[in-house]
Amino acid sequence: MTLWRLSAIAFAVLAMASPLAYAGQAFVTTQGADALDIVDLSTLSVAATLPIGGKPAGVAVSRDGARAFVASPEGQFVTVVDARARRIERRIPVAGGPLGVAASPDGGRVYVADLYGGRLFEIDPASGTTLRRVGVGAAPSGVTATPDGKTILVADRDDNAISVVDAVRFERVGTIAVGRHPFGIVVDAAGVRAYTANVESDNVSVIDIAARRVVATLKTGSRPYAVALAAGRIFVANQHADSVSVFDEKNLASLGEIPVGEYPEGISATPDGEKVLVACWFSNELWAIDPQRLRTLGKTATGDGPRAFGLFVAPGDLPAPSGARVPD
Amino acid sequence: MVNLFSRAAFLLLLTVCAATAQDAASIPGPNSWAAHGAAPLKSVETIEIAAAPERVWAVASDFGGYDWLPGVARVESSGGHTPEIDRRKLIMRDGGIVEETLIRWDDEKKTLAFHRDRDNVKRLPAINYMSHVTVKPTTDGRSLVEWKGRFYRGHPFNDPPAGLDDETALKAVTALHRANLSALKARVESGESGESGTTVR
Repeated sequence: MTLWRLSAIAFAVLAMASPLAYAGQAFVTTQGADALDIVDLSTLSVAATLPIGGKPAGVAVSRDGARAFVASPEGQFVTVVDARARRIERRIPVAGGPLGVAASPDGGRVYVADLYGGRLFEIDPASGTTLRRVGVGAAPSGVTATPDGKTILVADRDDNAISVVDAVRFERVGTIAVGRHPFGIVVDAAGVRAYTANVESDNVSVIDIAARRVVATLKTGSRPYAVALAAGRIFVANQHADSVSVFDEKNLASLGEIPVGEYPEGISATPDGEKVLVACWFSNELWAIDPQRLRTLGKTATGDGPRAFGLFVAPGDLPAPSGARVPD
Repeated sequence: MVNLFSRAAFLLLLTVCAATAQDAASIPGPNSWAAHGAAPLKSVETIEIAAAPERVWAVASDFGGYDWLPGVARVESSGGHTPEIDRRKLIMRDGGIVEETLIRWDDEKKTLAFHRDRDNVKRLPAINYMSHVTVKPTTDGRSLVEWKGRFYRGHPFNDPPAGLDDETALKAVTALHRANLSALKARVESGESGESGTTVR
């Protein structure tokens, strides 16, 4: 009954959107299927599936939405995907267990964390070469770059801390103690605060990046995995609660929990903040949430074992393919 | 070159450290999970049971009463069903012990989940293993029980040795789920036949 109602709402919302409007696309790593599902967000359906291999988990979309970088920890490589053509461009070998991945704001660099080796790699996606490497903490997981591109933050899961890496010098310049087993990490649009989902302590650490300290801790549902920011709110995927916890970004007050599919993991917002997408590993679904009304908009079936760990949503204002023009 | 050698030595050291750290962390509390790889595995098995969901749930929901599991002699438990708090100890007939923590218990959805606390790849070649047991109604008033697991292969890094790979883990956990479901079915259906006159369609 509720599901039917949700579907009806989702249908109504989708029907209102112009079929020509480009609402962006989500790049969902389906680790069990060894693939990447590219989900068209205007229809909330899988538009293409690319075989990736190597058990892909981490993913990062460049800020202009032109490329997606997919990390395969078992295959030990990063796959560069042409987001517009929905085609694999190249495969870059990366040592160790490449899991967490982030793109620099200009898209010219890709940062990949080696889960097993405790290192962060700086990769030039154009040439496919590893430029620099720096030692970080134990079991580095989530990676993110500040909007000015000057700082990289790495969630060192087994150290219960964040590594602060100077992106210019590519040196580890500090650490910040957070909750237990930080996994996903995200930075706000202003580059002022970062948020880690702490899997074992069931909370989120709110970090003042400049001061390099935790300024608040937010109690979440069971086993928070990753964080997304949209519409002035903080969204946290709770693996064991099958839900997304929501908080106000300003006053950090709890705004409740939204039920989603089973075992939600990767969570990411569209760059315009219109939608929050969450990959549900057990039920093989991608759910869409309205961050204003705090309601689910619908879902689509994905391949087996969606992880989508990282910033996996490309913006809607994607440049048109050469020779064509996307109507407004 | 020199660089390559030092890197190899460094990696070896890292591996040794990681292995040592894992040993040191082999007595985790209910909230502490051991190191694992980067690719969780999934196994979902179902069985139909000739009893109403309420009757099946009465057995399945009793976290401390799983003495019907294959190979289990008796169960010691903290008695309740509060997630992250209640634990049980399965005393196996072979003398071994399996300890589990309740992760989820939902009476309304007739589902519970529990996590195996100490990995023992000799008993089960999988680590960080969590089970979800869910009772669903069939259209004819009987029950469909789903036993599904999330786990990792026994080797927590790349290049697993034989016996600690994905295939071995998946096979073992799937076989375990099937055996557990058959035991649950036998327990519920035999229990029902013992209570005269209850006809479940």
